[in-house]
Amino acid sequence: MVLFMAGLGCCVLGVVAATVISLERRVIVVTLVGSVGCLLTFTAASQVLVSGRAESFHSSLVLPLAGINLTLDPLGALFVAMTSFVGVATLVYCVGYARGELRSRSALSLLLVFLMSLLVVPAASSVVTLMFFWELMALSSMLLIMVEQRRRVETRVAAQWYGAMTQLGAASILLGLLLLSTKGGQTFGDIRSHVAALSPTLRSFAFVLTLIGFASKAGAVPFHVWLPKAHPEAPSPVSALMSSAMVAMGVYGIVRVGNDLLGGGTLWWWIIVVALGVVSALFGALHAVTSVDLKRLLAYSTIDILGLVLIGVGCSGALAASGHPRTAHLALIGALLLVVSHAAFKGCLFLGVGAIERATGSRSLDHLGGLIRRIPISTALFVVGALSIVAVPAFSGFTSEWLLLQGLLHGFVGKSSPTLIMLLVGVVALALTGGLTAVAFVKVIGIGFLGQARSTAAASAHEVPRTMQIGMGILCIPCVVLGVAPGIVIPLLNRAIQTGHSSSVSRPVETGIGLSLVHLRGAIEPMLLLAGFVVIVAVIAGANSIRRRPARKVEAWRGGGDRPTARMQYTATSYAEPLQRVFADVLRPEIDVEVTHAVESHYYEQSLSYESRVGDAIERLAYQPAIRAVTRVGLAARRIQNGSVHRYLAFGFIALLIILVVLA
Amino acid sequence: MSTSFYIGALELATGAVLVCAVMTLWRRQVRTIVTMLRLQGVALACVAGVLAWHEHDLGLAITALLVLAVKGVLVPWLLRRVIRRDPRSRETAPLINVPASLVSAAFLIVVSYVVTSKLTALAPSAATRLVPIGVATVLVGYFMLVTRRRAVSQIVGLLLVDNGIALVTFLLTAGVPLIVELGSTLDVLLVVVVLQVLVVNTGARHGSFDLDEMRELHD
Amino acid sequence: MTDIGSSLGYGFIASLMQVVLVAIGGPLLMGLMAKVRARAEGRVGAPIYQPLRDLRKLMAKEGLRARYSSVVLAAAPLVVLGSTTLAVAISPLVTTHPLLSASSDLFVIVYLLLTGSITMALAGLDTGTAFGGMGSSRAITIGALAEPALLVAVIALSIQARTSNLPTIVADTITHPVWTSTPTRLLALVALVIVVIAETGRLPVDNPNTHLELTMIHEAMTLEYAGSDLGLITLGAAMRLGLLFTLLVNLFVPWGVATGSSVLGLLAAVVFLVLKTSLLAVVVSLIEVHSAKLRLFRVPELLAGGFVLAVLAVITELVTR
Repeated sequence: MVLFMAGLGCCVLGVVAATVISLERRVIVVTLVGSVGCLLTFTAASQVLVSGRAESFHSSLVLPLAGINLTLDPLGALFVAMTSFVGVATLVYCVGYARGELRSRSALSLLLVFLMSLLVVPAASSVVTLMFFWELMALSSMLLIMVEQRRRVETRVAAQWYGAMTQLGAASILLGLLLLSTKGGQTFGDIRSHVAALSPTLRSFAFVLTLIGFASKAGAVPFHVWLPKAHPEAPSPVSALMSSAMVAMGVYGIVRVGNDLLGGGTLWWWIIVVALGVVSALFGALHAVTSVDLKRLLAYSTIDILGLVLIGVGCSGALAASGHPRTAHLALIGALLLVVSHAAFKGCLFLGVGAIERATGSRSLDHLGGLIRRIPISTALFVVGALSIVAVPAFSGFTSEWLLLQGLLHGFVGKSSPTLIMLLVGVVALALTGGLTAVAFVKVIGIGFLGQARSTAAASAHEVPRTMQIGMGILCIPCVVLGVAPGIVIPLLNRAIQTGHSSSVSRPVETGIGLSLVHLRGAIEPMLLLAGFVVIVAVIAGANSIRRRPARKVEAWRGGGDRPTARMQYTATSYAEPLQRVFADVLRPEIDVEVTHAVESHYYEQSLSYESRVGDAIERLAYQPAIRAVTRVGLAARRIQNGSVHRYLAFGFIALLIILVVLA
Repeated sequence: MSTSFYIGALELATGAVLVCAVMTLWRRQVRTIVTMLRLQGVALACVAGVLAWHEHDLGLAITALLVLAVKGVLVPWLLRRVIRRDPRSRETAPLINVPASLVSAAFLIVVSYVVTSKLTALAPSAATRLVPIGVATVLVGYFMLVTRRRAVSQIVGLLLVDNGIALVTFLLTAGVPLIVELGSTLDVLLVVVVLQVLVVNTGARHGSFDLDEMRELHD
Repeated sequence: MTDIGSSLGYGFIASLMQVVLVAIGGPLLMGLMAKVRARAEGRVGAPIYQPLRDLRKLMAKEGLRARYSSVVLAAAPLVVLGSTTLAVAISPLVTTHPLLSASSDLFVIVYLLLTGSITMALAGLDTGTAFGGMGSSRAITIGALAEPALLVAVIALSIQARTSNLPTIVADTITHPVWTSTPTRLLALVALVIVVIAETGRLPVDNPNTHLELTMIHEAMTLEYAGSDLGLITLGAAMRLGLLFTLLVNLFVPWGVATGSSVLGLLAAVVFLVLKTSLLAVVVSLIEVHSAKLRLFRVPELLAGGFVLAVLAVITELVTR
């Protein structure tokens, strides 16, 4: 715990440093102090995960009235370790990235405040502490989105959406947690001991309220609308932190409240979670395929992956509720492994988009192309993240999705039909999103990095500073390690899930290098598979290069026409057009085609412009009417406020009278 | 007949009924759709036959033969006559396109599994476990009735619903009394004959089997 | 210790045999299908071993690569062939104890094949020509739509066998012959046949003999290769076809696959496998003769049908257990 507190102290020190140090050394000092802090918290969390012993800290000095309660138990430690890891990578990246507004005192100190609150949330062990740092996290990230607000007006809109959604979510969580703490103290220990005395209705009510808030943070459809707006507008390191660490806090919250504080709960709670997950996964995957803006694409893919995680968490809860603890643990381990590997690859991808933006000034795929020749190192690092998310074997995405799938598959044993239906819907959603994710990221790599440059900026891109590459590289390490040797983190995950099910937990997965299920038939050894692949490729390459000159470079085959130009290539829009057409009923794209005919004849076309936009149907159908209704109410309320001071004073007077009458 | 063979044959025949229903949503050629209906009739007769064999029930065996004669031969033959005028006719633009229909069918199948699970739990046996498949056939048939434009496909949808109901009765009660079955089967036959006359005549007069275009008749 | 050593040696021999068998058999399968088609159309057709001769010719030619291509185009043939070969080596084709049989998971095989498809699609975009992009976009669209049907069918098989380990499924099917006639298996079989047709680019999804830009899918991507690169890509596609056909056969008619550890059993298994797979290839090519290529936007209907059948397979498994 000392280490953890020291780490947090470093973050505070960083905030101070950000405000006092002069511009030239500010970035390097702040990131250095922050990284040291993250390393300390990482070490503290790892100790807890390895030993399995929770550590606590209580002080009534920091927060007035309630004091601050921190407990680093294995579940929280997993998220702390993950956040610290991403934090280090992001801060290192910032050294090279920070320019302009991001170097200002306010932005840098906010970044560290954000990081610190992210580290404290999973360690908070009382309602007040959790809510205080949850709000701090929300507020600091909202302000960070607006860092570039002088240059780009869109950031303000995004921040508005984000602020409104996150405050509604926080209010919901607060209400839910308050319901839980009605029988006694507000620390998690008190809640755990009193929760059995609460009525089932109250417990269910509390779960649903917290679920709304946490699911909104996790970007679950239909509470996701802030995510595709906020993530793209924030500076890339902030996007990376938000998408890999902050979104995961939603999952943490659901697991903490549902599994730990409420100790499992009933089946229908988890049916809601699975339903949210299924809708999010499909919605996110479909929108990711059709997005052209890189960050927007990544934001939708976050919704997709977090949807899969929710499916895992929900199925795990349902399996536990219907009496299958072993498969429940298996599914939960799979879901948590997916959260961790999502943090790594999505962080890496967001940082990669930052690098692309730095190198070319654009993040629209239709302005990129040929970057593999201009910025090879950033490309390679980005590709590692992309292969991971596409679930290519021997990358972390594959191992975690495999484990999740095994959890669901082996859950098909009981007779409890609602659980079986949920598992069925879950695996079908998993199957549907797999191919779509592959298309989205083939599009990103193929259109963005391969082929010829589609703009002059992309043609003259320059490799980004070394520190940015190192930041991305740090996040590539878990992508590969968790893919090749996933077994090494299994003991830690085993400990992390003990928190919820304190009694009689069996290990569902063997400890080892690969993954091997206990008492169930299923195993993979990614390291051996990788070795086999390398040997086979080496043999083929060796046999192929005997007595052979290297291939000659010639012009691309052009089918008898002129030399192919960059404009003849497929664009991101055209690449995904077939799928967009197949799913047109769901996506409802708006397509504008304008044809200008030649003067001489109507049959000749002079120019043609094609534009297609895929809007967010849920935003259009659910949120816009709600916003319009609120606006109408607001306008109606304006009639009361006509600016007359007398009337305002009269309101006060009448209110006073009413209060007095009521009290009397 | 050994039990495992009985169960296997029953599962196969019941599965075939549902597969035929799904196939009618999948294929566009009206001729193929009618063929699917015929195969479904045969499969339904097989279900009744297998049950009759297992229960040694003569009435059920006669019902099986009746189902085979009416649903496997007579009704498809009548429908064939309807489409003979326009043998290449296709279900070109259903209200819900084919992939979406198929995905909806998958959803309906899941729904039927959910709603019947309580029912089957009451008396679990080899036959009653398969009831969800019968209910799914009914739902798929109803879906076809709602979303298809061609008059013939709509008749087929109606017949799918009927076949599904028949399947559910076979599975749940091992057949209703012969006389009831006879009545309902002949009823269906009558409906088909009436519809056939109606469709052929309107088709001859207005040159179209598209029900959406018939809305104009009402003015 | 010697036991492990001998089983490792056996696995190695078996896997090597599988790789050689599929590397030679895959092209022969293509030749056989072309021959059957030619005969059905009243032509004599090229000899069955023509694809092997084509491969030998291609491997001897000089390599050419487009000027603006990157390392992706150069590495693609190796990755495609490598991932397919790895899948062939660990699958239970002639024996249920190939090398790495513990990791021979259905999902590993599916994702190894997906890796090959992704690599092909990326390489299609690498040269920056319109043809490559077109083929890549179409192929990945069909791949993405086939993926759900494939995975759900695979899940249906795994639920029935209570494992997704492929050799275990095949071995259990041999001991439970009833499984092969359950509705679950049959529905999954139909779904998998549709997927295999889509994944191997056969009619009615893609025409392997076309060079018309309106209809090309796989061929449009291979336009960018020449010489030995083209040879490796073609061999990779042939092995993919061989692997998928043999897997299909082994999952639904598993008899003949060696379960013991005798070399004689292996040889017998090879003979059985060749017979079974040739039969399947003849049937598929006869179906091909009688079907016209679907419009690109009708392919989703076909694959959605496969998907529904796969979902049906899972449901019937849940209902009938």
